[in-house]
Amino acid sequence: MTPIIKANELTKTFGSYIAVNHLTFEVREGEVLGLLGPNGAGKTTTIRMLACLISPSEGSAIVAGNKIGENPLVVRQTVGILTETPSLYERLTALENMDFFAKAYNLLDDHKRSERIKELLIFFSLWERRNDKVVTFSKGMKQKLAIARALVHKPPILLLDEPTAGLDPESSKEVRDLMKTLSQQEKYTILLCTHHLKDAEKLCNRVMIINKGKSVITGTLDELRNKINGQIIIQVALKKINSKMVEAAKKVDGVKRVDVDKPASMLKILVNDAELTTPLIVKNIVDSKGLVLSVNVLRPSLEEVYLKLIKEDSK
Amino acid sequence: MRIEKAILVFWKDWREIRRNWQIILPIVIVPLMISVVLPILLTVISGLAVTEGDSFSEFLPLIENLPNNIQMQFAGFTDQQVMIYVMAVYFFAPFFLIIPLMTSSVIASDSFAGEKERRTIEALLATPISDGELFFGKMLVSFIPSMLITVVSFMVYTIVFDVVAISLFNGMLLLPNLDWILMIFGLAPTIALASIGLTIIISAKVKGFREAQQISVILLIPILSLVFGQVTGAIIFGPIIILTLIGLFVVLDFVVFRIGLMLFKREEILTKLA
Repeated sequence: MTPIIKANELTKTFGSYIAVNHLTFEVREGEVLGLLGPNGAGKTTTIRMLACLISPSEGSAIVAGNKIGENPLVVRQTVGILTETPSLYERLTALENMDFFAKAYNLLDDHKRSERIKELLIFFSLWERRNDKVVTFSKGMKQKLAIARALVHKPPILLLDEPTAGLDPESSKEVRDLMKTLSQQEKYTILLCTHHLKDAEKLCNRVMIINKGKSVITGTLDELRNKINGQIIIQVALKKINSKMVEAAKKVDGVKRVDVDKPASMLKILVNDAELTTPLIVKNIVDSKGLVLSVNVLRPSLEEVYLKLIKEDSK
Repeated sequence: MRIEKAILVFWKDWREIRRNWQIILPIVIVPLMISVVLPILLTVISGLAVTEGDSFSEFLPLIENLPNNIQMQFAGFTDQQVMIYVMAVYFFAPFFLIIPLMTSSVIASDSFAGEKERRTIEALLATPISDGELFFGKMLVSFIPSMLITVVSFMVYTIVFDVVAISLFNGMLLLPNLDWILMIFGLAPTIALASIGLTIIISAKVKGFREAQQISVILLIPILSLVFGQVTGAIIFGPIIILTLIGLFVVLDFVVFRIGLMLFKREEILTKLA
C-alpha cells in the first residue's frame, strides 16, 4: 500500500524544549496508525504539524501528496481533524456548527451540503438533536459531533487526537465502535493519537510509541510483542501429564521453557513465535499419547509492551 | 482573498454574539444612554441653568472658546438656545466617535481571545480559511454591528434632539448637518476600522477576553483627546478637519490591516491557549 502520510525527520522545538524529535514514519492508505505515548510525548504537536496548524522546525512531511508548509490550505482541505477538545460553538446548534464547517471546507453546493450533514448526523445518531444548541449536549454527544465535523468534507485522512478522552465507558465504547466502522467500512486513513491502550489495541493496524518526542518503536501489535521478547505462553490443558509429553513439547524448535502445573494438569510452554510452534507442540504431545483438552495462547498485552518500552526508553 | 469566506466567519460569529447577552448588553446600553438620555438631560439642565443664571455663566467660557464664525451662528439666540445648540451640534459630536470604538472593542476583544477561552479556536484554524479571510471576517463582525449601532444611535439622537428642540427653536431642525454626516458616515467607520484591527491583533496575542479588552481601552485615549479638544475649543470639527482625518485614518486602516496579517500567526495563537 502506498503511504498517504510520509513524515521525514519531523522536528518541533519551542525555545530550548524539543517537543518532537526527528520523527520519521509513514501511514499507508486505509490503515489506522496509533500514535501512543505519555502526556507531553509530542503526539498533539505531531498532529498539529500534519494539519498545518504549526510549522516544523526541521524536517518535512507529505500529506496526501502535498508537502506541509508549501500549500497549507490544500493540506487542510485533505485532512479532517478532531482536536483535543471538541472545539464546537456551544451557542450554535449542531446543524449550524456542521453547516459552518462544511462551508469552510468548501462544500458550497447547498443540496450536497445538506445531504452530507444529514447523512453524518444520522450516522452519529444526532439527527433528532440537530436543532439543539451544543451547550445542551453531553460530552459523548459533543465528541460524536466533533468527529462528524471532521468527516464533513469527506477527507481521505483523519487525524484524531484523544477521541475517547474524558468520556464515560459507555460513550468511549460508542465512539470506538464508530471509529472502527469508519476504518473498516468507510476505509478512512486514520492517525489516532491516544494514551488509551484499549483504543489502540482494538482499532490500530500498526502503532508507533513515542516518548519525549522520539519514536521508540513502530510496528503491528504482534511485531511489538515480539520485539520486546514478550512472554508468549502456550497453555496446553491435558487429561493426564507424563514426562514423555513434557519431553515431546521441549523437542519443538523455538520452545524456550516448559513448566508443569500438575494440579491444573497443564503445560505452560514459553515460546518466541506462537503461530509457528503451537501446531508442532500439539502434534508432538498427541503423538506421545497425550489427550489435549484445550490450547490457549497468552500474549503480552499492549499495556505490558507499552510500559516496558517507555520504561526502557526513559532509562 | 475569498470574500465569501470572510462573510462566513462573520455570520458564524454574529450568530454566536447575538445569543450572548454579556456582549449584547454593553454594546446597546452605552449608545442608548448617549443618544436618548443625554439630549433629554441636556434640555432639562439647560432650562434650569438659564433660570439660575450662575450655572449659565459657568458655561460661557466654553462658548467663548469657540471660533468666531461658529459664535456667529447663534447670534440672536436666547441663553437656553445657545446652550442646547452648542451642546447638540458641537460638544456631543465626538461622543459619536466613541460609540463605534466602545461597541467594536467588546466584539473585537472577543474575536480570537474569546475563541481561545472557549477552546474553539483550534478547529477554526484547522479549516482551509486563509489568514487574511479569518482576520477580515473577524473585522467585519466587529465593524458591521458597531457601525449599525452608531448610525441608529445618531438617528435616534437626531430625532430626540429635534423633537425636544423644535418648539424652542421655532421649528428649526438642529440636526443633521454636513459635519455630522461626514463624521458619522466617514470618520466614525475609518476610526472604527483602525481600532478594530488593532484590537484584533491584541486579541490574537493575549490569552483571554478580559486581557484583550483591558489593553484595547488604551485605544480610546486618542479619541477622548478629540472630545476634549472639541469641548475646550482647541479642535473644532469642520468639514476640512473631518475630511483630513478621514484621509489619515483610511491610510492607517490599510497599514493596520497589513500589520495585522503580518503578525497573525496560527502557531502563536495555539501556544497561547488559556
